[in-house]
Amino acid sequence: MARIGVFVCHCGENIGRTVDCHAVAEGCKDVPGVVHSVDYKYMCSDPGQQMVKKAIEEKGLTGVVVAACSPHMHEKTFRRAAAGAGLNAFLCEMANVREHCSWIHEDREKATVKAIDITRTIIEKVKHNVPLSTIRIPVTRRALVIGGGIAGIQAALDIADGGREVILVEKGPSIGGHMSQLSETFPTLDCSQCILTPRMVEVYQHPRIKLYAYSEVESVEGYIGNFKVTVRRKARSVDEEKCNGCGACTQVCPNKKIPSEFDCGLGKRTAIYVPFPQAVPNLPTVDRNKCLLFMNRAKGRPDTCKKCAEACEKGAIDFDQQDRLITEDVGAIVVATGYQLYTIGKDQPKDNLKGYGEYGYGTIPDVIDGLQFERLASASGPTSGKILRPSDGKVPKRIVFLQCIGSRDPQKGMEYCSKICCMYVAKHTMLYHHKVHDGVATVFYMDIRAAGKGYEEFSRRAIEEEGAQYIRGRVSRMWREGDVIKILGFDTLEGEPIEMDADMVVLATAMRPQPGIDVLAQKLSVSYDQHGFINEAHPKLRPVETNTAGIYVAGACQAPRDIPDAVAMASATASKVLGLFANEMLEREPTVARVDEGTCAGCFHCERVCAYGAVEHKDIKDRAGNVVRVIAYVNPGVCQGCGTCEATCPSKSVELQGFTDEQIWSEIQALGV
Amino acid sequence: MTELRELARRLLSEGTVNAVLGWEEGPRGARPAFVTTPDGADRLIFDHRCVHNLASYLSPRRPHLKRLGKVAMVLKPCDARAVAGLIRETQVPRENVVLIGVRCGGVVTDPDSDATLSEATVADRCRGCPDREGKLADHTVGTAGPGFPGPSHRAQKIEELAAKPADQRWAFWQAELEKCVRCHACRQVCPMCFCDRCLADKTQPRWIESSPHARGNMAWHVARAMHLAGRCVDCGECERVCPQGIPLGLITRKIASVVAERYDFRPSDDPAVPAPVGTYRMDDPQEFIL
Repeated sequence: MARIGVFVCHCGENIGRTVDCHAVAEGCKDVPGVVHSVDYKYMCSDPGQQMVKKAIEEKGLTGVVVAACSPHMHEKTFRRAAAGAGLNAFLCEMANVREHCSWIHEDREKATVKAIDITRTIIEKVKHNVPLSTIRIPVTRRALVIGGGIAGIQAALDIADGGREVILVEKGPSIGGHMSQLSETFPTLDCSQCILTPRMVEVYQHPRIKLYAYSEVESVEGYIGNFKVTVRRKARSVDEEKCNGCGACTQVCPNKKIPSEFDCGLGKRTAIYVPFPQAVPNLPTVDRNKCLLFMNRAKGRPDTCKKCAEACEKGAIDFDQQDRLITEDVGAIVVATGYQLYTIGKDQPKDNLKGYGEYGYGTIPDVIDGLQFERLASASGPTSGKILRPSDGKVPKRIVFLQCIGSRDPQKGMEYCSKICCMYVAKHTMLYHHKVHDGVATVFYMDIRAAGKGYEEFSRRAIEEEGAQYIRGRVSRMWREGDVIKILGFDTLEGEPIEMDADMVVLATAMRPQPGIDVLAQKLSVSYDQHGFINEAHPKLRPVETNTAGIYVAGACQAPRDIPDAVAMASATASKVLGLFANEMLEREPTVARVDEGTCAGCFHCERVCAYGAVEHKDIKDRAGNVVRVIAYVNPGVCQGCGTCEATCPSKSVELQGFTDEQIWSEIQALGV
Repeated sequence: MTELRELARRLLSEGTVNAVLGWEEGPRGARPAFVTTPDGADRLIFDHRCVHNLASYLSPRRPHLKRLGKVAMVLKPCDARAVAGLIRETQVPRENVVLIGVRCGGVVTDPDSDATLSEATVADRCRGCPDREGKLADHTVGTAGPGFPGPSHRAQKIEELAAKPADQRWAFWQAELEKCVRCHACRQVCPMCFCDRCLADKTQPRWIESSPHARGNMAWHVARAMHLAGRCVDCGECERVCPQGIPLGLITRKIASVVAERYDFRPSDDPAVPAPVGTYRMDDPQEFIL
């Protein structure tokens, strides 16, 4: 026989103002099975919780109903209190008489009647509650980090230093990301490669980091603590075991005129190449789209050029190498795929983005973007750090920087601020000033956003000490006359149009997520916004978690980020991952779906509708071991308790624990409809 | 007919199958037959009175038939949709059944009548049916008549009903469903109703009242219609076996046309075509989502 205790909360005035809480407690006393019914001003307070505990102990309650606020607010509080008094936590339920009643009604009399009805439904439900215990699932304590830029490097190092194994997957031939392309970094002007390359080497040598460069995530299955990841190791055409990184192959490759991705097209590379001298791993890669041998093979012609293979003393070149698929078990995933620059005037990645044809990018060779300027200013760049313009190799004496190219421009499809451009343009003016002492740097800006430690001082220094000319306004058109770029713009502070000549123009283009991020996000079941940036679970309180448990996000794939931000996020994901890995088992709420093995017909509609892939096939065998039936099985570790399978099951053979048909039916019956 | 019998005899004598599901001459017309010996193959017939959808007997929920092991089934073109449905919903492994397709030019409504096949006697679902051969069949035998032109009477009746105001439609269905005696023959004969324990038989809680009462009757037929949405193969067996003459085909056919219109799905004889239940497409209409 049920012995139910009812505890009605006034929630101060929140409930008490509209609902006669004492009348509710009195009204529930007559409900069969109720042996205790009281009201109190703040049931969630310590004395309130003590009332619940005391009643459980003294009256031997078999169920508790707290008529108060939403279960989202205090269900955990009261379940903990009930468990503290020795009652199974899942025998305690909330009747929501605040959000569902007092807050939305004015008539005190009617609201009181409704509050009694709501409480009665939950009393009837609790009579059918059964003790449940939390689900414990094992955790594979290894992490996968996707993306080998500074965010991925930092996350991998932090997790590995915390004592856990890491698999770092990088799409390109080398880790390092965009940071390896930068010359110097704001606001301290320290050399980007000098601070980055030691970390890259550390990743390579770390005993707990397994680096898969030139690899991509093929598929992801499973759930928090138990992901199964398939990684495609793309064929480099070079045997990693044999290659000693001598570079002889790259010296002899006859195809030397390929625009270098690392130098943003300003330099050239060979078909077998190492993207940059400090690359990690230091292994060459054959670009099969550009290699003469593979181009011949594609046309069905015999292999001709094998110069690299002939030059290789180790016999490491393997033209027949195939992509390999490797499966790894991990418990957590960090997404750190970074960004690309908005490619103005070129092929647009998405139709809703519009280029800046008016700026002549892609047609005027001396109009370049910020990353290209980084390569020009970098000591390892194609000009060895000299600022020389691409068209004729002359030193530009008049250089113009345009900010907010694409960013903050809804008409171009991106209303957001790219965050880093104000700072790197200020840095560019300084780098230019340091190298071209008699040159003039002019900046067209909308606002200067320098919120960060030392950022405002840095941008003031560019203007006040390093002679950069800042003009508030935008440029409407640019064209080439002879070897001069004509600029037509508007100074919005002076309120007048401006015409000026420039030798080179640098566009601070918007940051966008990497192409293909949507495909990756779908593989991972994480959500992303209209621009493709991965959504965080909560913008303030869960900034590095995604909406899928066990998957975390770091760096510029979540939103435009500078290096300090990306590194801080990466370390935050590492702390989340290490926190997850602190326990061998993971505890989950037991409100998951369960299949009635006796009645399941095995039609697997549930499998088709399950958004989490929680439904598996289970063989039912006879005593001789023959499979007699195949039925559905819900993996409690994956199930999120959404109930879609339950709604779909034609024979009602799936039930959500804690919300069974009987419980719901009893609730309906209590209302007498 | 000889072709069918010879094939059945061969399949049985070679041991390819343990039984052949087909039709035989009964005391009151054609009736389903289970032939388990090569000699029994001579009992098999196929003509315009063979209206039954034998796919119902493939359901794994019939333990006495499951014991027969691998069987062959004589398959009308329309029955192929039901077999495809069972394969699609993982009830029948394709390799466990040999399908003997018979060419068909239409069947009559009532298997017990001795009427010849004519415009007046042909089953409504055969009107406008384009299929003369079952696509899933492993073997195809016989010759087919020319078939009958559409449209079906049911389609006209559905249009008439749809044109009426809601209260009149409600009154029509209340009057029809009041007749239901809850014998569940419609469920037992339906090839797609294969659950071990039907929703209507669940007692804890009892979602659908089991006694023949207007409320439970309505709940049962609404639940049945919803469970068959996107799954009904329009074989018309439910309506044929209903002892009370309730026009159940109007419900299933209407639901099928709604599914066809909204999800571009028609009962298919290809098991690989995904059913709309559990299929999500970006272009699914979703105006019901606020």
